[in-house]
Amino acid sequence: MSRTSKDLSIESVWRGGVSPFAVSWRKLMMWLFIITDGLLFAGLLAGYGFVRLASPQWPNRAEIFHLDFIALMTFILITSSATMATAVGAARQGRLPTAFRFVLLTILGGLGFLSCQAYEWSKLISEGARLSSNPWGVPLFSAAFFIITGFHGSHVLTGVIILSVVAWRALRQRVSPEGVELAGLYWHFVDLVWVFIFTLFYLI
Amino acid sequence: MSETHPVSGYRIYWIVWFILLLVTLGMMLLGTTALTTALILVLLAGMLLKASLIGGYFMHLRFERASLIVIVAVGILATAGILFFLIAPDGLRVLNSSQSADLHVGGGR
Repeated sequence: MSRTSKDLSIESVWRGGVSPFAVSWRKLMMWLFIITDGLLFAGLLAGYGFVRLASPQWPNRAEIFHLDFIALMTFILITSSATMATAVGAARQGRLPTAFRFVLLTILGGLGFLSCQAYEWSKLISEGARLSSNPWGVPLFSAAFFIITGFHGSHVLTGVIILSVVAWRALRQRVSPEGVELAGLYWHFVDLVWVFIFTLFYLI
Repeated sequence: MSETHPVSGYRIYWIVWFILLLVTLGMMLLGTTALTTALILVLLAGMLLKASLIGGYFMHLRFERASLIVIVAVGILATAGILFFLIAPDGLRVLNSSQSADLHVGGGR
């Protein structure tokens, strides 16, 4: 059977030397990291789903959290994702000063989100919530809350540190557009995870 | 390696940002009412819409090659879905068995 030029083209791509994904190895590694890190949160949320369904009762989140405040946190994170996407676009066009300004805005958004989360944690702790107990009768409720939001918060903090390095390098004109893009991918991933946490933990 | 990205301006990001805000606002309003099965499905659909917009436009996945989209979609969404639907429903079995055990103990008194 004769092979078509398309078959030969596909074969040569998968033989090596050419990326079948048409991205650099750095970007591919970032995507693989995002997939594995995404599975970490998938495991946490699946565990949360299990304890939620196995519990005969579950506290009413609207009575514990101020949903308006959670909405503000969501607004901050979504806005920081938009500023980060703009920074990536500017870096790609070679406009590093603009990229620097938007990365700075993204860092401010990240710090704002972390401040809100610190306030929320301290409020719940002052009301008696602990990792293994809480005043609302279901100990696993506060355990799930602290573990899921704690893991997410640590990712936000990591993102702020990474973005600070990118901003410093952009200021010195020593960052590549791809460097900004990779930091952006991580930041959008953090935003993506929050979309799931916000819906599954706070709304449903 | 050359990469082509059709997104040249910033406008699209802010359009996506605005849509995300509207969807979030709508979900917030729905989330404050009494939850029904239909409402939960609507909230889950809103969640997936937001995730698609962030992945597609902010992370530029929409403009990547199909092979990359497939490994990300299968790697995260399919695996997470399998994980969730294999583990979480088992919670209902635990709940039912503990409730029937309570009834059994209560009936024996």
